[in-house]
Order: sequence, then C-alpha cells, then structure tokens
Amino acid sequence: MGKYVLKRIGLAFLTTFIILSLTFILVKLLPFERPIGGTQQQIAYFDKQTHLGYVYRFEKEMPKYGQLLYKSPAEKGRSFYYYQVPVLEQYVNWLKNVVLHWDWGYSKTFQPNVAASVIIMSRIWYSVRLNIISVIVSVPIGILLGIWAALKKNSLTDHTISTMVMVFISIPSFVLISFVLRIFSYGLDWLPSTWPPDTASTAVKIKGYIIPVFCLSFGSICGYCRFTRAELCEVIESDYLLLARTKGLTRRQAIVRHALKNAMVPIFPSILAEFIGILGGSMILESLYGIPGIGKLFVLSLNYKDYDILFVDMAIFTTISLLAGVVLDLSYGFIDPRIRMGAKK
Amino acid sequence: MEEKRYIDFKPDDFTLVQQNVRITDKKLDTKPTTFMKDAFRRFCKNKSSVAGAIILAILIVLTILVPWLSPHNITNVRTSEKFLAPKLFEAGTGYWDGTRKGEHVVYDAVNQVPALSDKYSVASIQQSLISLTIEPDHTFIDSASPYGTGGYIVVATDAAVADKDVFMSSKPISFTDKGAYMLDIVLGDEENVNASKLGEYCVYLKAGERPEDKIMVRDFSRDYSPISFNISQAMKDAGMSSFTGQVVFEVRSTTDAFRYILVESVKLSGGERAKNLDDLAAVSFDNATVMINNADKNDLGYWACSGRKGIHNSEIFYCDYVIDTYMLVYGDADLVTYSATELNGWIDKGWCSYDYTVGPESFVRLSDECPVDTVESQTVLKVTKKLSSITARGWNYRKMGYKEMPKFLFGTDASGFDLWKRAFAGLRTSLILGVCTAAFCFAFGLVWGAISGYFGGNVDLFMERFCEILSGVPWIVVMTLFILHLGNNILTFFLALCMTGWMGTAARTRTQFYRFKGREYVLASRTLGSSDIRLIFKHILPNSMGTIITASVFMITSVIFSEATLAYLNLGLQGVQSFGVMMAGNQQYLGLYPNLVIFPAVILALMEISFNLFGNGLRDAINPSLKGSD
Repeated sequence: MGKYVLKRIGLAFLTTFIILSLTFILVKLLPFERPIGGTQQQIAYFDKQTHLGYVYRFEKEMPKYGQLLYKSPAEKGRSFYYYQVPVLEQYVNWLKNVVLHWDWGYSKTFQPNVAASVIIMSRIWYSVRLNIISVIVSVPIGILLGIWAALKKNSLTDHTISTMVMVFISIPSFVLISFVLRIFSYGLDWLPSTWPPDTASTAVKIKGYIIPVFCLSFGSICGYCRFTRAELCEVIESDYLLLARTKGLTRRQAIVRHALKNAMVPIFPSILAEFIGILGGSMILESLYGIPGIGKLFVLSLNYKDYDILFVDMAIFTTISLLAGVVLDLSYGFIDPRIRMGAKK
Repeated sequence: MEEKRYIDFKPDDFTLVQQNVRITDKKLDTKPTTFMKDAFRRFCKNKSSVAGAIILAILIVLTILVPWLSPHNITNVRTSEKFLAPKLFEAGTGYWDGTRKGEHVVYDAVNQVPALSDKYSVASIQQSLISLTIEPDHTFIDSASPYGTGGYIVVATDAAVADKDVFMSSKPISFTDKGAYMLDIVLGDEENVNASKLGEYCVYLKAGERPEDKIMVRDFSRDYSPISFNISQAMKDAGMSSFTGQVVFEVRSTTDAFRYILVESVKLSGGERAKNLDDLAAVSFDNATVMINNADKNDLGYWACSGRKGIHNSEIFYCDYVIDTYMLVYGDADLVTYSATELNGWIDKGWCSYDYTVGPESFVRLSDECPVDTVESQTVLKVTKKLSSITARGWNYRKMGYKEMPKFLFGTDASGFDLWKRAFAGLRTSLILGVCTAAFCFAFGLVWGAISGYFGGNVDLFMERFCEILSGVPWIVVMTLFILHLGNNILTFFLALCMTGWMGTAARTRTQFYRFKGREYVLASRTLGSSDIRLIFKHILPNSMGTIITASVFMITSVIFSEATLAYLNLGLQGVQSFGVMMAGNQQYLGLYPNLVIFPAVILALMEISFNLFGNGLRDAINPSLKGSD
C-alpha cells in the first residue's frame, strides 16, 4: 500500500511537471504583449524580466535576437534595448526561479509589476471561502435527499426527487444563475445582484453569499443525491442485507448499521475530491457575479492579455485537478481496505 | 413432536403426457428479436426517455428549419429595431404581446410621459435610477432626481468639521431706496424632520465683512416660521440709501453631530428696473428640486454652499404604464415628408399613382409595399412648377421594407436581431460542432482504446501514460491555449474539443476490451486463425458498442455546454452564429430585458434535459446486462 501511495504521488508530480512545462512553453510562444504604464513602469518591468532571465538587455541594437521588445529612453547618453530570450532558455530560467526562489513572475498589464503570487494570494481566499461553504451546504443535503429517495424507492417521493435531480443536473450554472438573479435580485430585490464590496455591512456580505453558494452547490447536491441513491439502492438489494433482516434486525437497524456504511464507501472519496476540486471555483460564476476570486482572475488576465498571470492561474487549476484525482484514488484504498488500488490480477 | 404423514402414490395416479406422440424439433412460437429491436422495445417502455427523445427531435427539427425558413434579420445591425418585446399574440391580449409594462416608474411631470418609456438606452435608464435613491428621510445627496419637484434645500453643518456653514446667494444684488424690496423665506420645521437635528441659524443681508455691513433678517434662533422681511424699511431704519449684498443663511456649527435647516423657498421682490428684477428673480426660488437641478452642481446656480448640501423630501411622481414596443418602432409614420424622387420611384415600381397637378386627393395606393397610406399635402416648386415633396401618412414598417408588421417571437436584442432565429442558428452551430466532435472522438477513441486494451502490456502502459498527461490538463486550459494560438474560429474549437474529448471513449473501450478479450469465444476464433484486426472489430468491439455510443450522445451535450462556457470567458466563437456568444452578450440586459437571457436559457436547458433523458434511456436500453430486469 505504502509503495503504491508513493508511486501514485510521484506519478502525479511527474504529470503535473510535464503539463506545467508544456503550458509554460505554449504560453511563452504567444505574441509578446507590451506592458502598460509610464516609462518608469516599463523600465521596471523589463529590468525585472531581465533579472528573471526572460529578457535580454543590451546597450546597443542586436538584430540577431529577433524583434526589439522595448527601447528605453536615453538616460545619461545611453539607452537599453530589450530582446526576448529563446523560449527554451526562458523555460530553464523559469524552473530555476520557481524551484530556488518560488518566483512565479510578475503581472504585466493587469496590475503592473505586482508579483503573480501576491495577486493569487489576494484573491484565492474569496474562492476558497465560497467553495468550502458550498461543499458544507451541499454534502449533507445531497446525501440526505439521496437516502430519502433510495428508502422510498419507486414511490412518488423518489420519482419527484429523481426528476428534479435530472432536470437540475442538466441546467448549466450560468443558466441557473440567470434565473436566480432575475427572480431574487431584480424581481423581488431580496438579494444583491453582484458581489458586495469589502466595505459593505456584514448583513449585505452574508446576503451576497447566498446566490453564489446556491448556484455552486446546486449541481453537487444533485450529483450527491443521484450517487447516494444509486449506491444505496444497490446495497439494499444485496444478499448480506437480506441476511441482516433474516437474523432479526429491524429495517432501520439494517440500513443504518449495514447499508449506509457500505454505501458511503464510494461517496466519501468523491466528497474529499470535491473539497479539493472545488477550490478552483467556477470561473463563470465568479465573473458573472463579480466575485474577486481566482476564477475571475482567469477571465481578467485573458482580457488584459496578461499571460504570465494567466499561466499561474492555469497552473493552479491544473494542480488542483490532478491533486483531486490522486486523493480520490488513494482514499478508496484507505476507506475500504478490500480495494487494493493498483493491485495486479 | 409433529406427527409424520405419509402419502401413498400409486402408478395409476400418473399419466404419461407424450406417450404415443413423436417428439420432433418444433419451430419457436415466439417472434425472433434482434439486439436493436429489443433495445428499442425497452427504450419505448421508459416514458421519460421517450418524452426526452420527442422534445429533442422537435428541437433538432427547429434548429434545422428556423435559420433556414425564418425571414428575420440576424446579420445586419439595425439599432432602430433593438429591444423589441417578445410577441406571440396580437397586442392587447395582455401577455406575450409585444408590450412592456412598467410599474412604479418615475414619471416625467414636465413632458407628461413615463420618464423611461421612450428611451431604450441603458444609460438613460440607469442614470435615472440613481436619483431614485432619495428617501423621505434625512439622506444628503449632491443631486436630485431630474423628475422631482418641491422639497427643501438642506443647509447642513459637517459634524466632522467644526465650522459654521453658509448658504448664500452668490450673485450680489443692488437694493436702492427707489424700490420696495421684500424678502420672503419659507423654512421647513419640526413637522418635516426630527426636531433635534434642526440647527440654530440666522439670516442676513451681507455687503461686506464688517458687522455694520450686515442687515440682520433673523438673528440666531430656532424659530423656523416663515420670514417676511421688508428690506427697504430696514435700509431706511439703518439710514442707507443703497445696499449691494447677498442673502446669507448661516447654520451655527456644532461638534457633536451635524445640524441643518431646511429652506423651502426664497422670494425677493420689489425691484424697479428690468435688470434689477432679473437679478431678484435669479436668486428667488420656490421649487428647491428644480433650483438644484438647473444649477451647476458646484455652486447651485445663483446660490453657493460652503458645507454639505442636498435635497430633502423632493417629490417624485411614479406611474404604471404599458407600451407597445412594436407600435413605437413600426407604428404610424404620420406627416413624414418624402421627396419627389422617392415618390417617382414608387410610381415606377407600380406601387401607387399620383398626379401632383390634381393634388393630394389623387393618391391611389396600388400595392402593399407602398409605405404611404394617404397624402396630406404637397410642395410644388414655384419656378419650375414641379413637385418637390409630399407630406404623407403611413406606417413605419413599410418604410423599413416590411410588408406587414413583423412579429418577433422572442423579441429582438441590442443589435435588432431576431432572438428566436439567432438562438436556433447558434444552436445549429453548436449541434454541428457537437456531432462532428462526437463522431471524431468516437472513431479515434475507439481505435486507440481497442489497440491499448487488446494488446495490453507495454503498449497499454505507454498509451495510458500519454492519456494520463493529456487528461490531466483541464479542458478549459487546453481550449484557452488553442484559441490564443489559433484564433477563435470553428476549426480551432473542433480541434481543441477533439483533443480532450476522445480519451473518455478510449478509456471505456479499453475497459471493455479487458473484459472480453479473455472470453472463450475469442479464444475459439483465435484458434481458428483469426487475425488481430478481425478479433478486434468482429468479435470484441460489437460487445462494447452500446456503452460507447451512449457516451457519444452525452458528448454532444458537453460540447454545447463547453461552447457556451467559453463565450462567457470572452473566448466565444467568432465568425459564425454562436449560442454562447449570444447568451453572454445578452447577460448584461438581464435586469432590463430578461427575455433576452431567459428565453435562450430555457431553450438550452430544455436541450440539455432532453439530451440527458434520451441518453439515459439509451444507456439502459442497449446495456445487455440490464436485459430482462424490467
């Protein structure tokens, strides 16, 4: 088991490394965008890039390095010429920067000359907070609904719940938020139609959470409900539950002590994975509701053509999704020792 | 102890059923069935899936027919036709009839129309909404609603700055002993506002800084009764023959909380010369809201304020209204002037006949296409005696090139595009993209999965690692990189979606191959000398076809969803009609014109729901292991 865990984690690291490398190279191959701001900012940006090893600085024109990125205005009779470093060399420098200094680059146009890690850290908590709340809301509701539907299988309750789940799982989140905003914000005026600013009162801030949490958790509520119902239905019809009933347990005892525990085996890992996976948040939800999280950062950096920030944001999403996969895989083994992950036939 | 019972059977108790009958092979009485027939039968049993399939079929037929048959415009921007309401029934039926209702809408008392009815620009509506924040309480704001009237000007001290506040007419007025000058001031009192907030104030006429340059109208007090002050008398008492000064209100400052007074009106009267009267009129006001609105925001027109200022209890009229948006755009074109060239063009086309020597009565409408119903008057050039123009009554829609008043089922959007046609045209793009992607992924994934699953070993290991890396990248990252590098055209979308899409099919095929490749029938066929290709495609693949086909159906919905998602991230499809781009573009009008978002959203949701219902039914129907379970 221990060997498998190590192997799985090692492999995940390798995959992450390869993906991030590919993404970095692909992003760096994009056409160069000039940073915004005045001369001082431009010079500061290019000097920083020179320091990080992504840009060459010369005191005269060097046409062999390709397109001139920037020429600083003459100061004390000399001016600097900046050229792009070849992409693979940039890649090596980037690896050095990240491994040795944990330096992920600087923003160019979005918040000029602010470190990417600073921008991410200032935004990630909005996403994390929102997503943790929505997981906390969705897990119990989803599982309880699923249990309810499974226990009343083929009754009106079950059909109602299943149909609702079916309908709502099909509705994309941006459609759902449109309806919710229309009814509760613009129509009834109960809830704010955009994310309240940090200066707003606590009551307004709490109200501001309702719509995004609702829209985020709706899909997972439906997912958990469906999953739980399917698992529990299968377990209820199994032989050992029949045995439990025959040896004299009541239905309640049999279900609580035997069925639920076993039904939770595949559900629990998916909750864990969701906890991690959802940290990435929903880009659309964040940009539609104006939540200043990392999902919205993705859209903003795209609009600003700030590809360094875009890359770091992409790296976060990639890492999170890979991590979720690993946790999902491993937790199966921990929760149910019968499942030997990676075991040979 | 239970007693044992014995039953005696004798040979006579039994008779042989087929003693003298020849038993031969019999033809089966039941009808033979194929896999597909059986699957279809079981699919039909599932009512919800059948319903889903029917809705899906209707939507697909609409997707094909609507963009093809609908005559409406979705390519040329026509801003005059923007934001028309959805119309299904004739106007006046009350619902879905092309009208927009307004409830509790600010009423423009001057022009006597609902303040927002005639303007479809977002800016104008939002601008007016800002001024709605005036509350009948004590909120101080810098500007008032342009549609408000009355109220009181608030002259307030600032609690934070312990300084007296001065509200004064910024234009000095000359008073002479010739006129009979009166100053009438009406103030708001405790009835209008919480008495504890009213401050101590004084009113005086100020000619200079020295105490003797002031004529006190009312000294510091808390008396808010109306003031009627005879300036000429006061000048006479003080022995002045002339006086040039300003009217000044001063509120005594406090340090604990801000205090204020409410000024309802100021009236100066009694001047003797025209210029003098004008000055007095400029400084006088009886409508505080109008005074503030007409004023430059910095100095209140002819008044200046040193501290906080605002308006209190400005009255705003609200109204409810129903407007027919179609009549606004396509309705009467009354008394429109057309040039003789235009008229001659119509006559040449045979739309109408007209003889200008006879006059307007001679106008005869010959075709529905003619924009003019009746001619009211005509203008004839004096020199050449030729017709120069006519003034006529007609309908706007004819002028715009429609034969009858158009009807937009879902209304029109900001560009004047028909939403109904645009939605289905966009959906068509999504569907084509989805079907193509699903087909490619199906074919490629099948081959990949088959090879990986059939050969196993190192081949499988290598191919699996490759998939793992590729599937580790979130699809949104792949799409973004593709679009940034190759532009957002439909080919890029296809490539990027295929890039990530096939791995699901491949994984599923691979699992199925692992399941079936060890079976006896495969071994039997191999023993008979079948090639790998034959084993893969003839013996193993058909077993796993069902699940893979179902997965491909779900793939189509996911493509529609992905396309819309990307549009919300500003990476939408360009150059073709796109559902996502349309929805994302309309999202900003959710508050004002919800139909622009809600109608497409309903179509999309319906599409996804019916696809899912259909797909689930299909999965259950062609899954061999569920055979006979219902």
